[in-house]
Amino acid sequence: MPELYLRFLNRILTPVLLLLSLYLLLRGHNLPGGGFIAGLMAAAAFQLQILSRGHDRVRRTIGPYLNSGIGLGLAIAICSGIVGLLDGFFFKGVWFSLNLPLLGYLKIGTPVIFDLGVFLVVVSVATSYLLGLSRVSDAAALLRRDTDSPVPPDSPASVLWDANVETGPGADS
Amino acid sequence: MAMSANLLAVPVAAPLLTAALILLFARWGGRTLIRHQIALTTLALCINLVVAVLLFRAAAGQGQRFVLQLGDWSAPFGITVYGDGLSTTLLLLTALVALAVYPFAVATIDYHRARMGFHPLYLFLLMGVNGAFLAGDLFNLYVFFEVLLMASFVLLTIGAQPAQTNSGIRYVVLNLLASTVFLVAAGIAYGTLGTLNFAQIAERLPLASPAVRTVFAGLLLVGFGSKAAIFPLFFWLPASYHTPPPAVTALFGGLLTKVGVYTLFRSFTLFFPELLLSWQPTLLTIAGATMLVGALGALAQPGIRRVLSFHIISHVGFMLMGLAVALSGNSLAVGFGLGAAIIYLCHHMIIKTALIMAGGAVELYMGSDRLASIGGLVSRQPLLAFLFFMAAISLAGVPPFSGFVSKLSLLQITLDTRHWVVAGVSVFASLLTMMNMMRLWRESFWGDYSRPSRIPSRILQSRARQQLMLTPVALLVLLSLALGILGEPAFRLSMQVAQQALDRQAYIEAVSPSSQVSALQIHSHTFEVETVSTTRP
Repeated sequence: MPELYLRFLNRILTPVLLLLSLYLLLRGHNLPGGGFIAGLMAAAAFQLQILSRGHDRVRRTIGPYLNSGIGLGLAIAICSGIVGLLDGFFFKGVWFSLNLPLLGYLKIGTPVIFDLGVFLVVVSVATSYLLGLSRVSDAAALLRRDTDSPVPPDSPASVLWDANVETGPGADS
Repeated sequence: MAMSANLLAVPVAAPLLTAALILLFARWGGRTLIRHQIALTTLALCINLVVAVLLFRAAAGQGQRFVLQLGDWSAPFGITVYGDGLSTTLLLLTALVALAVYPFAVATIDYHRARMGFHPLYLFLLMGVNGAFLAGDLFNLYVFFEVLLMASFVLLTIGAQPAQTNSGIRYVVLNLLASTVFLVAAGIAYGTLGTLNFAQIAERLPLASPAVRTVFAGLLLVGFGSKAAIFPLFFWLPASYHTPPPAVTALFGGLLTKVGVYTLFRSFTLFFPELLLSWQPTLLTIAGATMLVGALGALAQPGIRRVLSFHIISHVGFMLMGLAVALSGNSLAVGFGLGAAIIYLCHHMIIKTALIMAGGAVELYMGSDRLASIGGLVSRQPLLAFLFFMAAISLAGVPPFSGFVSKLSLLQITLDTRHWVVAGVSVFASLLTMMNMMRLWRESFWGDYSRPSRIPSRILQSRARQQLMLTPVALLVLLSLALGILGEPAFRLSMQVAQQALDRQAYIEAVSPSSQVSALQIHSHTFEVETVSTTRP
């Protein structure tokens, strides 16, 4: 089980990271930010989940949707390029004005939709990497525990082990 | 005009969108899902072929140059997508090869590999190859190289057999090294010329110092050359092509090295045509060595696919030879060499794919591709034996197949320019090819029928699957025959394509890169951009 402080930090940091990534995604049109960085930041939030709750749980909850996330992101990104054909050129920026009931006018353009696609792809790819790596590191930890495990002092294995130590590193081949 | 230039986006967008849709729904369903994936992929491949035919007819037939400035940003600032005769010829051949290998892949790829994403990866690879042919600047070329490298790496190791992983690591390491060299060249271009756009590089390179030109050209030759598997840089190819499923090898053999060959054609004709004359001895030496090493290496190989992958190297040498004499010619027109190389490229892509598929079918029937342990298949699979033989003699250059036309025209130009040695080497390499093909055919089809070392998998016993495997091979062999019989119009077309590719000024004018920032036409709320020249003093 992970440390207490990690679980505690997770409660505070995960919402902050996710909100911050949303903020970065939206400001990316004119200022530093955008889909890629926002995606990485959201993936960092998932990594925190992996560390604090264990990768099995994260894999069970979001694992099945990662491939779909990549597909959806790519499809959104390409479709935002296709919308540009309305204006005569592939990937030409097109802006729409939406009249929302409470918020007033919202001007939304294809670049932010493209960024949304990039965001989805990056989150999904990075999270599936992290999940894959966590499985590998888990296996490595298991392996290490096996070799480091204290051998009962009377077993034949311990005698062998001691003999190897005494004869030095050259003899254990 | 604008709409038709938008067609250039289709060969990249259609495979990508289809692959995205497949991934989106990859979670749900079992075998029915795979069937839907196959249907979607076939649809995308057909759309790709139709668009490629349309583009080819306009660009190669009527000499049109398609330029798509993505998002209407003018040339050096936005992303330029460019399609002329050379690019669209390769687009068309790629579409044909991809569509021809696909039924073979459907018939032979097992359910397990299909679940691991074989079909979307096939489309990603197609997208990478198409994008590399259409890229109008060095950076996007690099990006598409990486896309196709990653897709091909996963396809190479899909199924994760130990041999596959072993070859996959060699493949990816050597290819990444080549990509790094290419990236360094791009960095030098940006640092010294201030641009990555092909047209602008072509415009500014004559003004650069000779040292820059030499280094840039040398790095590109190494980078692209190792993608194309030319003489000292071909090691990744025979190390890896015999390990994946045969369908993957057929696709790779048809497409991958040809991207390198295309980029060599493009960069040498557009950036430094003068080097085609001053570096001619070097290029011809490399070409001769590539031909010879490929053909001699094939002699020593024990398996069908290994022999065929060495022959890919040998054939790249022929294409490089055509490029090296592109600007020469005593009695023949300038560009004859490039035209011959282009028709050789067409011949090679068609027949190599057919031959690897036929060889793959032999391997699947016999359970092994080691020549020592197979034989006598002619009585069991007469149609396969016939198709393999036809493809083999076409590869070796026997009339009336396309191999004859393309080899003859290459020989004609080398003799015309009095490069006796390389002409002799090419004839010798062709002879060795003939020997090798006969060896392959004799060992696998002639003699006593030897029992398969493994029971052929259940999938091969279905009649429908056998037809799926052999029909594309038959169609490709017919195409090669047609290219050979219609040699003259085909050659005229490829001469036109070569002339168009050699016309640098028209390329620059078609893209018309601007060196003025004002071309951006930024009307910001806060400031007006002044007209600033970005050309360096």
